[in-house]
Formats: sequence, structure tokens, C-alpha cells
Amino acid sequence: MMRLFLEATIKIAILIGGLMTAAAYLVLLERRVAAWVQDRRGPNRVGIPLTKISLFGLGQPLADGLKFIFKEEYTPAHVDRWLYTLAPLSILAAALATFAVIPFGSVIPPIGEGGPIPLVVAPGVDVGMVYVFALSSMAVYGVILGGWASNNKYSFLGGLRSSAQLIAYEIPLSLGILGVVLASGSLRLDTIIDQQAATGVWNILVQPLGFVVFMIAAFAESARLPFDLPEAEQELIGGYHTEYSGMRLLLYLIAEFLHMVTAAFLIAILFLGGWHLWGLTGSGDEITLFTAVLRIVVLTVKVLATIFFMMMVRWSWPRFRFDQLMSLAWKVMLPLGLVNLVAMAFVVEYRQWFAGTGTWAAVALGWVVLIGSSVGMALLAPLSSDNRPRSASEGAARQQIFS
Amino acid sequence: MKADDPNIKWIEEPQLGLTGRMYLPLIVQGLTTTTKHLFGPKVTVSFPEERPLIENPLIYRGVHRLNKDEQGRVKCVACFLCATACPAHCIDIIGVESPWPDREKYPESFTIDELRCIFCGMCEEACPVDAIELTSLFDLTGRSREEMIFDKEKLLSVYDQTKDAEPMPSVRLGITPAHRGMEGQH
Amino acid sequence: MIAPLFAADVASQSPSWVASHAQQIQIALGALLAALALWLILPRASQRGRILGGVLGIVSLGLFAAQFPRLGDWLDDSMFVVLATLTVLAAAAAMTFRNPVYCAIWFALALLGTAGLFFFQGAQFLGVATVVVYAGAILVTFLFVLMLANPKGEAYYDRVSWEAWISAPAAAVMVAVLTVSLSQNVAAAPPAPQSQADLDRNILAPQHMAHLGKHLFSEYLIAVEVAGTLLLVGLVGAVAIVAADKELPGRAGATPASFTTDLGESGAGGRHA
Repeated sequence: MMRLFLEATIKIAILIGGLMTAAAYLVLLERRVAAWVQDRRGPNRVGIPLTKISLFGLGQPLADGLKFIFKEEYTPAHVDRWLYTLAPLSILAAALATFAVIPFGSVIPPIGEGGPIPLVVAPGVDVGMVYVFALSSMAVYGVILGGWASNNKYSFLGGLRSSAQLIAYEIPLSLGILGVVLASGSLRLDTIIDQQAATGVWNILVQPLGFVVFMIAAFAESARLPFDLPEAEQELIGGYHTEYSGMRLLLYLIAEFLHMVTAAFLIAILFLGGWHLWGLTGSGDEITLFTAVLRIVVLTVKVLATIFFMMMVRWSWPRFRFDQLMSLAWKVMLPLGLVNLVAMAFVVEYRQWFAGTGTWAAVALGWVVLIGSSVGMALLAPLSSDNRPRSASEGAARQQIFS
Repeated sequence: MKADDPNIKWIEEPQLGLTGRMYLPLIVQGLTTTTKHLFGPKVTVSFPEERPLIENPLIYRGVHRLNKDEQGRVKCVACFLCATACPAHCIDIIGVESPWPDREKYPESFTIDELRCIFCGMCEEACPVDAIELTSLFDLTGRSREEMIFDKEKLLSVYDQTKDAEPMPSVRLGITPAHRGMEGQH
Repeated sequence: MIAPLFAADVASQSPSWVASHAQQIQIALGALLAALALWLILPRASQRGRILGGVLGIVSLGLFAAQFPRLGDWLDDSMFVVLATLTVLAAAAAMTFRNPVYCAIWFALALLGTAGLFFFQGAQFLGVATVVVYAGAILVTFLFVLMLANPKGEAYYDRVSWEAWISAPAAAVMVAVLTVSLSQNVAAAPPAPQSQADLDRNILAPQHMAHLGKHLFSEYLIAVEVAGTLLLVGLVGAVAIVAADKELPGRAGATPASFTTDLGESGAGGRHA
């Protein structure tokens, strides 16, 4: 009991410390990547304080953090005081609690007596993925309450947009995950990795369509561009955190980056094989300290690569319009997720056909499904939608529906 | 305006081809562009270490200077044309009787409030004797308001500092005092 | 089991009557206090007595809690007490706050407490499902409606509870009955330690989700299918309502400006105005 408690405490300390640092440095990475893509250099000056040494701007997060801490904790007079304070706390709590079931490595060799120590805060949570869902749906509270309590139209619109978006994209998200769950037969994230490591076939190879659906839904869930409508600066100032400043704003920003990290972890674990890399990390539970560290490194590299991709995407595409966002969720992502699920069900049901060398058949099937459904969607439901009312009566009818 | 107003000109969205509707090829295309820029040359100038390239310092409008003639005297004749032309009213001149025979007045004091100045260059255009000019010095800083009010000495020192890089128009165009004297006679 | 408890023979007037019926008196007193407390703290026309109600409520909760059997381990006990108190208090607050949005938030907290209790009992799926379905989906939709529909929350019927004199005693009796049945049952027959075979068959065993799925889709297949169909019908109904609305050609010539003004008035901006 005591040992379990100690283990969990150490893991939580490592995880929270790591995540907070990671969130701070991801802000720096985000700014640098943004600058590079825009042919700039980005923040590269802040280094060791009181010296002239500027380690590629690695001191910037510290400076940012200090700035946030020393800013005035300002509460506007017109806000709902309790909920205004509660909202950022709840969103950060939910974002941090998600990591209870997300493994950040494989296992490390036993210390003292007892078996190998799994690198996940709450090992053996059998509901794994559903738990992640539950907490990501709790994130809606932080956003919608912040938007409402700010008592500001822009904030409120941001909050409403966000909650509609998060609820809508939870469905394609779960459909994308269901394919993986079907393939591995478990909701536990470590089992999902183990399954991919045992067969050596990452899920992205077998179900690329599921990967695409999950990826797009994950972008929308973490409100990254091109789905960052809740805080679209050009339309809503800052969206739901327009009225926030100082530490409370910092909590929101950290939570946003943590959502991004969560999404990257899930993409890496569910589809990119977690800590597995062919010919390097082995696949079993019998590991040395070296392979244990190697697995952590592999997983981290995958996560960072995914985050880097998300940052690149931010500067590659323009933002969606809100109706396009919704039709993408319901008219494109939902059917595609179902197609992927059916294809996976087929592969799982006739798994004796796809065993051994038949794996290649499964992979081929996955890619055929991806290209086929993509072409099919292009022919059936073009995403370009001109929604301007063309006549007075049509415009009036639409007003009626919206009002 | 109603939606069916005849004055509205409807502009249709461009129709996407099959690859455009599939969307995935467009994603790859967009990422290619961003990746190119990721490694491309940067336009940022790392300022204190690296000076920005001013393409033509002669037409740049930075800090003012008061030009000197060949004998090292201030060229200004205290005609007040610059002060009159100044839209920000930042030039303050006290003109007195000139000790020299070639002009009637000269400025006893000539101050420019660089904080009020909008660097429009009107003074330079108004000056009949090319005495006031704008240089290409742009990093103008100070720790107090008083420090930013430039008096005659300081403006003349700006001339000393920049005369080699940015010669006066008369020097640049090779106009000697002899020429000017001839012009005067005509 | 409950009947003899409440039909305690009032006739016997021996001096030791109080001592021998201490438990029954505690329960009855608790129920009485709970009813009074609830009536006091429910949002009625007058604000008076709410603090007194809160104090009485805590006293009655203590009376009830004294009936609970101990779980044995102090850690288990304190976990349960913390979670249960949190849930009950949040539920009471959800009933008694006047601002509907606050009520919804307290309700969400009560749901989280319930989910925590489920987790505490090892029913992981139930706990998570409570959060996903109730807190994550239904209550958010509720909040949506509350925030959009009546942001000022000033309507009389929103701000007072109706027939508090019925609902408060009903709730108190409910809590009393639950307490009695729980404490009597557990005290009478503490659960025997289960054998390994039982544990493996148990729905709470490792591979919890797999067991649960097997149960749901074999023994309760029809219920699951019916529930799914019901939800589908709801979905189709919603689509049908929207589609029917759309087909109407330009009802009641609304001006193009109406959309913006409507939004402006119903947005949160006007709440404290």
C-alpha cells in the first residue's frame, strides 16, 4: 500500500513537472516555428539572466512565466466572480487529470521487490480511453463557464462555439478510436501499445482512414488551427478568455497546450505504435534499463514530432467557417469514421485471412479504403459551401431558423 | 440591402477539381509550402549586432543635422522658413545679427524637439541654403525629454558625424562657392 | 425490516425506552431536522432562515452518518465520507441556489461526486459513463439552454421552489429510509470475502470492460438495442423538426437585421445590464 502510494506520488511529480515544463517550452517552440514559417527568427534573445548568453532563446519561457506571475490579478467589475475564477481552474484540472491513464513510456525494471513498474500514473484502469473522453468533455465546462462568466459578448460567443465544436467532434474522435479498440480488443492504452508492438504493425498502416479521422477530430478537440474558432482573434478578440489576464490567463494557456500534448500522446499511442520502433525497442515485458529508457525516448520523439506537425499545420491552412466546421464533423467525419469501423470489423472478424503474410492484405485494404472513401466523399459531399442567401425570402427563412 | 437587390454583384466561389474536393492533396500542398519557408532564408535583421541596410541614405528621413560651410560656420541664415513649414512646430530659432559679412542674420540658438518631430522632411525642403537636412540615423534614443531636445551644437555634431557618409547636396553636386557667387550675380 | 423500526411500540412507557430506542430516535430526529432544514434552505419567497437551515442540515447529516457501518479501514472510511458528503452537499446546493447556472454547476459537482463513489467501489465504467453522459453531454446542453434562454434568471417561477412543504419532507424520508436500509442490511450481513472464482466471474474483475461488454451484448442485448433505437428516434425527430422548419418559405417577413438584434439581446452581455 505504502509502496503503491509512493510510486504514484513519484510518477505524478515527474509527470506534472514534465508537463508544466513542456507546456512552457512548447510555447517557445510554437513561437519559433511560427517565426520560421513566416521567414522570421522568433524569440532568440533571452538566455541566462544578467549575462549576455542567449541560448537560442531558451530563457524565454522563464521570462514569460515571470511576466504572468507579476501581472496584476485583475477581475473586471462586470464578471460573475465565482465562476470567473472557477473556469480556468476546472479546465486545467481536467487537462492534467487526463494524464492519469496515458502511459509516458513502457515499464521500468523492478526496483527492490515487486514486478516491473509501469510508467503510467494509474496502471490498470480498464476504462482507459473512456476516461480520457470523460475528462476531455469536462474541459467544455472551463470554456463555457469562462465565456459566460466574463459577461462579454465575444467571450460568450467563443464559449458557445467551443462547446458546440467540442461536443460535435467527440463523435468522430470516438469513431476513430473505436477502430483501434476493435483491433486491439482493449480500452487500455498500454494494451493498445503492446498489441502494436507484438504484431509490429502500427495502426496507422492498417487503418489510415481512422488515423485521418482521429487526427482531424483531435485537432478540433484541442482547438488548434484550422479549428480554433473558439478563440479566433480576428472575429472574437480572444474568444472565451478575452477578459482574462495574469495567472488565470496563464492557466487557460497551459490547459490549451496540455490539450495539444494530450492529443499528440493519443495520436502517438493509438496510431504510431507508442514506444515501439522496429528493431530497436523489442516488444516484450522483459526489458533492461537501456530499453526502458529507449522506449521513453522513442515515445517522446513521436509525441514531439506530432506536436511539431500540429504547429506546422497551424500556418498551412486558413481557419474554417463555423458552418463548414459543423458540416465537416457531421457530413464527412462521421460517415468516414463509420466506414473505417466497418473495414476494421471486417479485418477483425476474418482475422485468420489476415494473419502472417496476410497482414499486407490488411494494410492494402486499409489504404484502398482511405483512397476510396476520400474519392467517394469528394464526389458526394463537396466541402465548399456557399451559404449566402440568394433572395430576400430565403434570407428571411434563414433568420427564422436561427432566431 | 435585401439579398435579391439588383445592385448586388454575385461573385461565385471557384469550383474545386476532384483533387481539391478530396482535400488531402491540398493538405500536402499547403504543408509543402510551409516546409519550404521553414528552412528558407530569414528576413529578420538582428538589430544591435546587425545594422539594417538603408538603400539610399540620402533620401532617408532620420535625425536632423545642421550643415556647416567650408569655414566651419553654421550654414543657417535664420530665415525661419523651416520653422514655418514645420507641421509639428518642433523647430525653435533665435536669429540675431550676423557677425559675418555674407549674410544678415545667423541663428544664435537652433533647437529641434526630436520628440515632437514627425520626420516629414518639410524643413529640408523649405530650407533655401541647404542648412538643415535629415540624415539616415534612425536609432534615436534618450533617457529624458530634455535630452531629446537637440540644440545647435548637437545638431552640428550630427553633421560632423555623418558628413562623410552623406555629403551635403552642394558637395555632392560639386557646387563651389564660386558657382554660388556667380549665381548670385545673375 | 424497515416497518418494525418505524412501528416501534410507542405503548411501552418504561424509563429505558429512550435508551433502547436510541437508533430509531436518531433516525426520526434526523429525518425531521432534514425536512426542516430543506424547507428552510429551499429558495422560497423570503430569504430568512437559510443559515439556520444549513446548520440544521449538517446536524441531520451527522445524525444519519452516525448510522453508517464502518468499512474497517480508516482510509476507505475517510474516502467514502469525503466523497459522500461532497455529493450530498453539492446536491443540496444544486436545489437551493437561485441562479440556474450555479444550480447546474453544483449538479455537475454532485455528478462528479457520484462518479467518484462509483470509482471508489471499483465500478470504473459506471463512474466514467456518469461523467461522459451526464456531466459531459446532458448538463452541458442544459447549461447552453440556461445561458441562452434566460440569462437574467429573473423569472419568478425560476427563482422559487414550488410546494417546498411537500418536497422537503419527501426528500428527508427518502434519505432516512435509504440510511436505515443500508445500515441494517450491512450490519446484519457483512459481505463475505469472495473466492477467486467468484472474483473472476465478477463484473468488477480485471478485464472489467470486456466482462461488462459481454454482459451488455448478451444478457441485456434487447435493452441495449431498444435504448439505441430510442436515441435514434430522438435524433431523427430533431432532424425532422429542423427540416420542417426549413421548408416554410419566408414566414413573417423578418428583416435581415432581426438576427443580429436577437442575438444581441439574448447574449450574456445583457445579463447584469
